[in-house]
Amino acid sequence: MIRFLLRRIGLAVPTLLGVSIVIFVTIRIVPGDPVASLLGPTGSAEARERLTKDLGLDAPIPVQYVKWLGNVVQGDLGRSIAKQTDALPYVWEAFRNTLTLSIFAALVAILGGIALGVLAATRRGRVASGFSTAVSLFSISAPQYSVGLILIVYLSAGRGWFPSGGMRNPTGDSGFGDLLNHLWLPGISAALVPLGIIARMVRSSMLDALSADFVESLRARGIPEWKVRWHAFHNALPSVLTIAGLQVGYLLGGVIFVEIVFSWPGLGLVVFQSISQRDLPVIQAGVLVSALAFVVINLIVDALHGLMDPRIRR
Amino acid sequence: MPARLAHRTRPRSVVLGALALAASLALAACGTGGGGGGTDAATDSGAASNTLVIGMTATNIPLLDTTLSQNEGYEGIRFVGNQMFDALTRFDLSDPGKIPDVVPALAESWEPNEDLSVWTFKLRPGVTFHDGEPWNADAAMFNLDRIINDASPQYYPELNAQAGLAISGVQSARKVDDMTVEITTKGPWSHLPADLTTIFFGSPKAIQELGNDGFGKAPVGTGPFKFKEFVQGQRLVMDKNAEYWRGAPKVDSVILRPIPDPTARVAALRSGEVNWIEVPLPDDVESLESEGFTVHLNSYDHEWPWVLDTSKPPFDDKRVRQALNYAIDRDSLANDILQGTASPLPQAAAEANFAFRKENDTYTHDPEKAKALLAEAGYADGFTFRLSFPTSGSGNMVPIPMNEALQADLAEVGIKVELEPIEWAAMLQDFFVGNIPGGAEAINISLSYQQEGFWTSWYGTDAATNAGKYSNPEVDALFKEAKTIEDPAARSEVYAEASKLITDDAAWLFIVSDMNPRATAPSVKGFNMPKSWFVDLTGVSVGDGTASTDQ
Repeated sequence: MIRFLLRRIGLAVPTLLGVSIVIFVTIRIVPGDPVASLLGPTGSAEARERLTKDLGLDAPIPVQYVKWLGNVVQGDLGRSIAKQTDALPYVWEAFRNTLTLSIFAALVAILGGIALGVLAATRRGRVASGFSTAVSLFSISAPQYSVGLILIVYLSAGRGWFPSGGMRNPTGDSGFGDLLNHLWLPGISAALVPLGIIARMVRSSMLDALSADFVESLRARGIPEWKVRWHAFHNALPSVLTIAGLQVGYLLGGVIFVEIVFSWPGLGLVVFQSISQRDLPVIQAGVLVSALAFVVINLIVDALHGLMDPRIRR
Repeated sequence: MPARLAHRTRPRSVVLGALALAASLALAACGTGGGGGGTDAATDSGAASNTLVIGMTATNIPLLDTTLSQNEGYEGIRFVGNQMFDALTRFDLSDPGKIPDVVPALAESWEPNEDLSVWTFKLRPGVTFHDGEPWNADAAMFNLDRIINDASPQYYPELNAQAGLAISGVQSARKVDDMTVEITTKGPWSHLPADLTTIFFGSPKAIQELGNDGFGKAPVGTGPFKFKEFVQGQRLVMDKNAEYWRGAPKVDSVILRPIPDPTARVAALRSGEVNWIEVPLPDDVESLESEGFTVHLNSYDHEWPWVLDTSKPPFDDKRVRQALNYAIDRDSLANDILQGTASPLPQAAAEANFAFRKENDTYTHDPEKAKALLAEAGYADGFTFRLSFPTSGSGNMVPIPMNEALQADLAEVGIKVELEPIEWAAMLQDFFVGNIPGGAEAINISLSYQQEGFWTSWYGTDAATNAGKYSNPEVDALFKEAKTIEDPAARSEVYAEASKLITDDAAWLFIVSDMNPRATAPSVKGFNMPKSWFVDLTGVSVGDGTASTDQ
């Protein structure tokens, strides 16, 4: 088990290196530069020249990359050009907010997805199955952005049940309840796509498991149906876990649209803004942190797999 | 099989644990979320504690360090720079009917030399920073050195870069006596006092003790509001400065919240989470008003034009440019698509620019005249050209439907426009060095004359940001002359003359001027929208706490 995990961690390093090179190069190829966006239309030519030099943007891209990588190895992810602050703490704070949203959304997606999937698999051909299939199809195809806006317009501005955005109440109490109150709408919007995907995965894995030979033999032994289903569910879990892990990984990368609509101060919003400002150090730090989170989630999923299914523990 | 049995308990415990966690979350939700207790609390506490909560269009809270606050567009100057700091001069925003004058602020008075190249500023006595430090020539020099003197230890290159055009005329500064500083400009610089309205001053002690990073997280100025709390990406809380030299503000505190999505911003106003929002969408204006919210509109010094490349065909011909100006229906754009949140711009100067003269209104919607001009210029059958336009960005309003409407207007006179959307940051990089992205013949951009110097930047022959390559020696001469005239009224005559020439030349396609829409809850009182991008919050008050008016 330990060797298995070590090998996985070893694989993570080249993955992150590859991600960092791709993002470093692509963001420099697209038109627009941080100096122009920092100075706006009012800056002077001298200021522009001086700033380009100060930021080290006049060096060739490979030189810039090596220098950047050298600093990253020492834990220095550079300084935000637009925010005039160190990039890592800035990105880290946003990542923590995204983590909060992601965990909430993941819970909604996993619990909802499993419930819907099991319902669809065990009530085949009935209304409940049709309902759950329809819900999962809707949740995959409905654009998060529109769903978010609809929730805001009807449940927040219309009924006043939930705040329309932000993460904390700016004037009142800021306890856990306050946070939770702000979590519902963005959490549900962000959970929709993973919920649908998980539900479909659960349904097909459950159907596979339910048609396996051992189910027949369990039934033949007179074991109650709910126990038979529990066994089938257990067998369906590993593949569900893989999909759920991937989905949580995507959530952690920052749910950009949801974060914009709900002004959620997360990583997606920070990276989105940094891209429009060409704030290179923040974009790089943000992508690196979310890539790292993705790798870590996959590691955890692999480890859980190993715990659940001894066959892959080599 | 035995192995599997042995491990059966683990996944089950994972699932059960997750279920338990979810259940506890759900329970907690019922305790607080049910019935919307949270949102009601926001409304009530806002009104009861006399707090102004502002939903900004910015994606994030602007930087808090003096002039760096313009990093989120000029919205940062509006709500951070002008609220926590003062400059030597300021715009008088008290009269909504008049173009704001430049009046004394941290300087009590000023006096230029004969040729307007050396300016002596008498500083206002008795002003203190929020930390109790005195405002004097040493404090002024510390801040000016921080911006312009690269030999001083506190020199801050990014601050210098961000100060941009506002500081571009300043050659050097020196202390004359305890309450006097002298600023030397690069030649005659008649509009220095206007330039300096956005050069803000922070407490030297705080800057030295906290360093640039620390000061950026807990700034200390002399402005009407004091810094209280900053939460990255979420809010900035400012309390009133009871000792403010212009008199204490009426609200107890101001909270800024970034809400970039316009629909979410309107929803936040409707649900009472904020009581002031910037830029509601034009389509929301009518319904907001019918629900009892106040929508504030006033002209300010803003333009939304197409900059035409006058260096190559077809726009090297003045008649073609004039034809474009006659071909579009500005009234329909302003009233139908923008629902009155913008006003037509039939000349080069916006109504709130001091170069505006009613008699210079030139361009009407006259497709016949446009066709005649085109025929005269040899384009009787029309032509095709490309327009580069940003799809969003500060002050750009709703660029897609607006540009499509103009495209339709021009098609009526035989001109075919190919619309080429471009991202704002990418567009800026080109515009900055005087280019139109992708070699297109025209670019749509939102521009605002925060400083007089912009006239030269955009229409001056040698200006770096003159993307249309417009050149008229007479106009250049007038701009130069304006630099030598101290009296603003006399200077405005010179700019009006230049503006008339530019209008007749049809240097750009002049389209509309933004009306700066914002909406406030009925509990917000005492705000008179000035003819300016900036706002004065000192006279604003919020409710009396007895009636909930935000429903």
